[in-house]
Amino acid sequence: MLIYSQPLELTKLLAAIDNFLQGNLSPGWAILVKGILVGILLLATYALIALALIYIERKVAAFFQARLGPNRLGKYGVIQSLADMIKILIKEVIHINKADKLLFYAAPFFVIVASVLAFGALPFGINLHAIDFNIGVFYLLAVSSLGIIGILLAGWSSNNKYSMIGAMRSGAQFISYELSAGFSLMTIVVLSGSMQFSEIIEGQRYCWNLFNGHLPAMIAFVIYLISGHAETNRGPFDLPEAESELTAGYHTEYSGLQFGFFYLSEYLNMFIIAAVATTVFLGGWMPIQIKGLEAFNQAMWYIPSWAWFFGKAGLLMFLSLWVRWSFPRLRIDLLLNLEWKYLLPINLVNLLVMVLVVLSGFTLTDLFPVLFGK
Amino acid sequence: MLEITQIIQQIAPDAQIETKQRLTITVRPDQLHPVIEALYRNETLRFDYLISLTGMDWGDRLGAIYQLSASVDLTQEVIVITSTADRDNPLLYSVTDLYGTAHLNEREIYALFGIRFINNPDMRRFLLNDQWKGFPFRKDYVHDPKLNPETVISSEIIDIAPRIMEKEGGELAEENVAVFGEEDYIVNIGPQHPSTHGVMHFRTSLDGEIVKKIDVHSGYIHRGIEKLCENMTYPQMLHLTDRLDYLSANINRHALCMCIEKGAEIEVPERAQYIRTIMDELQRISSHLLAWATHCNDLGATTAFIYGMREREHILDIFDKTCGGRLIINQNVVGGVMFDIYSDFQKDVKAFIPYMRKKLKEYDDFFSHNAIALGRMVRIGLLSREDAISYGVTGPAGRASGWSCDVRRYKPYALYDQVEFKEIVRTEGDSYARYLNRLDEIEESLHIIEQLIDNIPSGEVCAKVKPIIRIPAGQFFQSVETGKGEFGVFIESSGDKNPYRVKFRSPSLAAVSVIPLISKGAFLSDLIGITGSMDFVIPDIDR
Amino acid sequence: MKFIKYIGSIFTGLRSLAGGMIVTWKELLTPKVTMEYPENRKTLVISDRWRSELIMPHDENNEHACTACGICMMNCPNGTIKVTSLSIDTEDGKKKKILDKHLWNYGSCTFCNLCVITCPSDAIIFNNDFEGAVFDKSKFLHQLNHEGSKLREKKKESPVPASDATAKKEN
Repeated sequence: MLIYSQPLELTKLLAAIDNFLQGNLSPGWAILVKGILVGILLLATYALIALALIYIERKVAAFFQARLGPNRLGKYGVIQSLADMIKILIKEVIHINKADKLLFYAAPFFVIVASVLAFGALPFGINLHAIDFNIGVFYLLAVSSLGIIGILLAGWSSNNKYSMIGAMRSGAQFISYELSAGFSLMTIVVLSGSMQFSEIIEGQRYCWNLFNGHLPAMIAFVIYLISGHAETNRGPFDLPEAESELTAGYHTEYSGLQFGFFYLSEYLNMFIIAAVATTVFLGGWMPIQIKGLEAFNQAMWYIPSWAWFFGKAGLLMFLSLWVRWSFPRLRIDLLLNLEWKYLLPINLVNLLVMVLVVLSGFTLTDLFPVLFGK
Repeated sequence: MLEITQIIQQIAPDAQIETKQRLTITVRPDQLHPVIEALYRNETLRFDYLISLTGMDWGDRLGAIYQLSASVDLTQEVIVITSTADRDNPLLYSVTDLYGTAHLNEREIYALFGIRFINNPDMRRFLLNDQWKGFPFRKDYVHDPKLNPETVISSEIIDIAPRIMEKEGGELAEENVAVFGEEDYIVNIGPQHPSTHGVMHFRTSLDGEIVKKIDVHSGYIHRGIEKLCENMTYPQMLHLTDRLDYLSANINRHALCMCIEKGAEIEVPERAQYIRTIMDELQRISSHLLAWATHCNDLGATTAFIYGMREREHILDIFDKTCGGRLIINQNVVGGVMFDIYSDFQKDVKAFIPYMRKKLKEYDDFFSHNAIALGRMVRIGLLSREDAISYGVTGPAGRASGWSCDVRRYKPYALYDQVEFKEIVRTEGDSYARYLNRLDEIEESLHIIEQLIDNIPSGEVCAKVKPIIRIPAGQFFQSVETGKGEFGVFIESSGDKNPYRVKFRSPSLAAVSVIPLISKGAFLSDLIGITGSMDFVIPDIDR
Repeated sequence: MKFIKYIGSIFTGLRSLAGGMIVTWKELLTPKVTMEYPENRKTLVISDRWRSELIMPHDENNEHACTACGICMMNCPNGTIKVTSLSIDTEDGKKKKILDKHLWNYGSCTFCNLCVITCPSDAIIFNNDFEGAVFDKSKFLHQLNHEGSKLREKKKESPVPASDATAKKEN
């Protein structure tokens, strides 16, 4: 029944592929082929999302700034980022004298591998989830913080003073904001009682965590957005690059494909932050459902789950762009002030409040089970 | 002035004192420092502002002209001239201990004229590199490209400063001191850097993110405009002023035109005066808009940059229609203006005024109260009134330190004595005060234009001028208020159709010379913010 | 008290940030006025006084007004103009100086307009054709007098088209 009511859902297609593989190959081979297929698909989506985001950001930024943005290649400049990708691929990789060769070449891979690892664990829709860990939130926090190693290495190995300062700033910033991001996710883990993404999403069928946990959840949401934004090194938190101070910060010396890796992963990290916020606070791929209104709920399912997911994440990413193109850059001490004097104390209190809310049954699902209950 | 004459006569009995237009004192080199110190410490009227320091080559003698003024009353001016006959090793006494701005100016004179200054703590050449052979502004300089060939080989910057210090017994000792310590972590901010607004070079020694010391290098685009002027007729010189501070191109040119008109005694028609004043104020708005935009951009708000450019474009369109140029507009000529206003000029300007007011309000909402921007500007880059005067920092930056120094008010030219406007003075002296001053001055400029735009009289726009203009022998000086501060033109004429020596007093050089002082101990990010708030233009320094 | 101030600071900060975001939001929805240059070539308006390229207007008889006096060359601040003249014998046996070549270097001109305002016979003007980019530096050297052109006789009225002459009359 569910399948027929969801015409654009990919579940059926996936099941067909699965059946085909299972029927024609031995179980071991089937799993291997499936793994390879999933890997290729993930990488392709990764690249596609990054290219799309680069184009969208340039266009949106331009409109915020009274400009038109890319408009030379294709209608409205749509193939601009594709052309940029080709340009980056064929550019020379410049060898730097007196750089630490091994670390210099390894750094971009750290960055991109970290973001691919995190990307792979995201739930994009029903059954569109490569691996559903029972500690999904924890895994995501862990792998996404690997990226900082790449940035530190890039700054250190370039043997450039701008890069070095950028990398050091990045280190301080990342470690600080990682705390806030972690704590605000923990707040929601307390609320939903699970670290598994599928369970967290299922728990938000009739009431998003953002509303279920009302005040503490909303505070956690705002803090997560701020600290997530800071972790992606984007304005107003773009101190590691700080183009007006450090020319390009940690990636000053990189060119060609290596620079492309940093570039891609920056956009992907933005997507990952938005995706995690969507999943944890805004019900993930779950369409808007209202208890008791079955017809409405059915109608909502006609929009496929992945569209819900990308739609919600898209809104959050737009917010991120809006913030980025509205504010000046923070200074390193203001940045650390914001974290250690405002976000972290508020976060700790907030976590405590959330525990009290959950224990004393003050969540919306507990208060109004008829409206929001599972 | 009589009292000053007496003081001078006590200190230097054989000084020649002339009181033609301005009090001019000619002294022997060894009396220079006592005379200037006496003027500096004169209790009734302290001459604590060194407007400009001009190196001179009079053929047989090398020397310098000091133009002094009082910070409380800019109309008071004294000129001190000194010279030495020793062309091989000319030495003068430095006044760096009295005027901060003298430091870079003396170094510039050393590079261009070869005069060294005793007691200047750092006597490296400014504007030229250490390997330069000969002193290009001397009249006997050999223009041989083989002497100073073009090279693509970069040479290391040597951070060792020679200097001549006077010991207690009166003997002179040549010393070499290191500019930086052995352990200093030096970062080059420039010459290729997105936020130095051109090829400025700050060698910055850092302690973590904290700025310990800044060493200013400049001259990467030095063109020797003052020297070029010596071989040009007066109308030909005009087009070079647009290439100094290109953001105040029209105002610079106005200064030179007025200086020539003063010398050649040419009366400018009233209509031309109206056009000049309106165009100057439009130019000031465009300059302040660009300063606002780049300051915001330096603080990381790229969007603000484009907003400032957007409004500036409207002014450039008006320029474009008036005189066929946007940046380099060639409007003023000796005797008036080159182009009369076009038929819709008044309509366009009147449409611009309310538009700009609306946008100023938008800037306020967008940036002026932004919590992050306040954190980046309030109490950052503090410049005290004393330092502003000592370093000659004029314009919106000087007025942000509480120094009322508007040339338009003290030495009114064109129509500034007929219009009513407020001089914006703030006393905080921080980046934020400088920032707000510019926005407020835009409002004042709009107010000035409003008063003039409907009353432009009819008549000629340019006086009849002889085809070959000659200025009688003598020294002429005219200063104006550009977007950056006091810009001055000094012409020494020998009665020929070419000037004998031209010197431009650059407000940007003063702004740059104070940056090492006010950004000491600030964060690296704040150094960028401070340079943005001081608003300098490199071609104005590298004249 | 300190705590209230702390909370207050959070809210004033957030309000100021929201103010900035409202401004950018309004701009996002404002139609853009950017001119897209090669596409708008037909509708592009260049102001009459725009100085792009120095030209010597010739009339339908291929005649110009330059007497080869060289004042423009003398007045040019950076040697952009070179005027060469020939000496010929006129019909009534007198020697006469006529223009051979009027060379102008687009690359070194600073568009200061001195040559135009000092020209005694109004022979040269700046036109509006701003598309002067070339691939070779040598192409910057323009010869202003056309091939086979000659000096206009005095008695004729100035055949400079009215639109070209406006810029000059306003001087």
